[in-house]
Amino acid sequence: MTVSKRSKPASVNPLKIGQSLGGVLALQGCYRALPIIHGPQGCSAFPKALLTRHFREPIAVQTSALQEMDVIFDANRNLEEALNTILTKHRPDIIGIIGTELMDVAGVDYQSMLKSYKRERNLRGGLAFSVTLPDFIGSLESGFSGTVEAMVDELIQQAGHRNQRSVNSRQITLLPGSFLTPGDVMEIKEMISAFGFEVITVPDISTSLSGHLLTGFSPLTRGGVPLDSMLQSLQSGLTIAIGGSMERPARRLHNAIGTPYKVFQGAMGLKATDDLLHFLHQISGEPVPLRYCWHRENLLDSMLDAHFQFAGMSVIAALEPDHLYSVSQWLEELGVEQKALITSCETPVVSGMEREVWVGDLDDAEVLGSGADLWISSSHGLAGAERIGAAFMPAGFPVWNELGAYMSTSAGYRGAMDWTNKAGNLLIRREAGRRESSVRHR
Amino acid sequence: MEPIRKDELEAKDCGSQAPKSKPCPRPKPGEAAGGCSFDGAQITLLPIMDAAHLVHGPIACAGNSWESRGTLSSGPSLSQYGFATDLNDNDIIFGGEKKLKDSIDYIAGRFAPPAIFVYSTCVTALIGEDMDAVCKEATGRLGIPVIPVNSPGFVGSKNLGNRLAGEALLQYVIGTGEPEDNIPLGVNLIGEYNIAGEMWDIEKLMNSAGITLMSRITGDARYKEITWAHRAKVNMVVCSRALLGLAKAMESKYHIPYFEGSFYGAKETTYSLRQMAFLMNDREMERRVDRLTEREESRLIQDLRPYRKILKGKRAVLYTGGVKSWSIISALKELGIQVVGVGTNKSTDDDIARIAERVGDDTEFIPEGGASRILKTVRDRKADIMIAGGRNMYVAMKEQIPFVDINQERHRAYAGYEGLLRLAKEMTYSLANPIWKLASSPAPWDKEVPYDR
Ligand code: SF4
Repeated sequence: MTVSKRSKPASVNPLKIGQSLGGVLALQGCYRALPIIHGPQGCSAFPKALLTRHFREPIAVQTSALQEMDVIFDANRNLEEALNTILTKHRPDIIGIIGTELMDVAGVDYQSMLKSYKRERNLRGGLAFSVTLPDFIGSLESGFSGTVEAMVDELIQQAGHRNQRSVNSRQITLLPGSFLTPGDVMEIKEMISAFGFEVITVPDISTSLSGHLLTGFSPLTRGGVPLDSMLQSLQSGLTIAIGGSMERPARRLHNAIGTPYKVFQGAMGLKATDDLLHFLHQISGEPVPLRYCWHRENLLDSMLDAHFQFAGMSVIAALEPDHLYSVSQWLEELGVEQKALITSCETPVVSGMEREVWVGDLDDAEVLGSGADLWISSSHGLAGAERIGAAFMPAGFPVWNELGAYMSTSAGYRGAMDWTNKAGNLLIRREAGRRESSVRHR
Repeated sequence: MEPIRKDELEAKDCGSQAPKSKPCPRPKPGEAAGGCSFDGAQITLLPIMDAAHLVHGPIACAGNSWESRGTLSSGPSLSQYGFATDLNDNDIIFGGEKKLKDSIDYIAGRFAPPAIFVYSTCVTALIGEDMDAVCKEATGRLGIPVIPVNSPGFVGSKNLGNRLAGEALLQYVIGTGEPEDNIPLGVNLIGEYNIAGEMWDIEKLMNSAGITLMSRITGDARYKEITWAHRAKVNMVVCSRALLGLAKAMESKYHIPYFEGSFYGAKETTYSLRQMAFLMNDREMERRVDRLTEREESRLIQDLRPYRKILKGKRAVLYTGGVKSWSIISALKELGIQVVGVGTNKSTDDDIARIAERVGDDTEFIPEGGASRILKTVRDRKADIMIAGGRNMYVAMKEQIPFVDINQERHRAYAGYEGLLRLAKEMTYSLANPIWKLASSPAPWDKEVPYDR
């Protein structure tokens, strides 16, 4: 209903992650891609380190390595040099140039520079696009979806009107939001293909950041959706977007080439999964595969088992907007009290929520969530959760204090069951810990 | 006992106080790696645990970097808070000085820190925010030091940031306080950041030799101990060339002799402790150090025996990103490991000379970064293990190369005698892990053998 903000001048323990990191993440889901952050080298080193820590995988990213004088005089000379080096040395299929806020403030026009560069070098066959992602607006989520939108735009341009679009009604383009882990994306892909559809996922981090054993080092991305599949996706009969932030790229496809689209705000919990499967059942005419009926029962049974544990409990969640929406829907089904919901920036999805949402930081989470039993946020929240004595459940980005966080799955019935058990177990352990300490101190 | 040679006092790298002819090289667009000066400044100052560290700029500089370093605290944790002015587009158009002032007031009021460090970032530097003035005004008004750190990312490398942070300490902190009466004069450690708790191991050693650790610059430091650093009798620069300038300035300003040393490996540790005692000019202390180091070394030899058996003759590629290379080489040699490749991309001529002293002729020098270059060396030289920073860890994992993490984010302390033993264990575990065999053998159905019923 309402989006609120606590008034304080400084951000204390930021929840927000720079947009440009979201852009780098999106490009990890494309095969043989290389994001270039147009800015000083720190602006690419931090995202690279943070993404590496979260996914425990090498991350492809480069920088135009601006220094003070370059920013003031000729930032694009550096970008050109970076492009030259990258094209001669690594020949990526996809290059995404991510403009930082510094380019905005200095008023650098790298978009036209890229256009003329492409014309002069006669760049064909590859995909090169730019996207402006200053860090003083938005967050990881908007950086991710903004990059996908720019990528889709470029795809449409690239394909041009060369051939009349032949629609393949058995093919679906999936646009997964930034809050979905590689495990989630895999789960959703499986669900859609279980109804007999071909799925092309743009971008597809489930095949690049889920852990692979490919040897032979390359500074480019090693997995993700290949460029030709991306081009082929323009023939899809339908776009499915997961997460409100992915509606814009879906709408681009609709407006430009007429692909109808359906947005699901999330895919977590009973109702959200019901929705998705029901929809797939209807458009395919295929029955819902038996295994999902089983998963559904398993989920309901586990919720029955767990409901004692959740009764009377209160939760605080601090996550990116779309993620917060999904998690809140799931918490609703568990019947716990949602003490405070905090997000990094305002979006239509969070303003449309029925609960009060706070735009703020992890310090706000600590203040508003005081007395909560369970705390759900990135690893940055661990200290705050300890200070208020809540059990800590890592989720979102970045998570570094738990193995396999990137494969942890919350999508589908099985994902919701996993999360329900995980959260319930944390509460059980917390209770046991309290009991023990009260005995000892008597 | 070797006295410090005069030529060792001359540094001509980008970490010295006055860079002469050779500035830090310009990073190459499209093949650069590594952090910015802002990152470097934070690495140096964040270990001052009770201070507040406020980043002035849009969110990413702070939001993407806080809590990313392995420096540990024995008490206060305010430095682990991420404070940022979090400028939005309006602030940038109309200027962020008001917000900065309000943020400083807010932090001072709510957390009552002994000091606030304020970091500029590229955007605030570019739009010409007068941070110094805001800090100065706040210092006067609030009665606590509010220290500007002018090290925006785009001025250069991490190393330069370390140095600029050192200059901020010299200008605003050191010399502003006096030690408590009961603190005996002792040694300052400069450039030791208590990664994974290494400072604690070192402090224990120093104490057992009767040497007082005066000011920690800055591992697990409290603000006030740095204010009285100028009263120390000796400065030790712990394998960080970037802060050499600080030591030199303290020598000329406060007449504190300094030396460069390391705690990686038994030999270096012994040398460093002896050098402290020697420069303190205290015969009794020297004797105590001799007794301690002898005892520790002989115990270490015993403890290392089983590990040395496994490690002896193993070949390693070392890529620390520069400065620490030579000191780690000594440690590895003591474990019987042959260093067959070593990164020198951020090393100065001096560092390279020291590396050369410590390795054989057939060791490959890897002058510039890039994971592919390191991997090539590992393969060409048939190395058994790679020792590098976390950034390259997963690159090594993909190639199924045993790996030990040596940089910022690591969780194991390798300094001192205890640390060497830990390093030996870590390397042994890494080499002996069953995963290397498992990962390299194909699935049974991919082998051309029929299923044996
Ligand atoms: S390079 Fe500048 S803008 Fe980028 S992270 Fe470093 S200080 Fe911030």
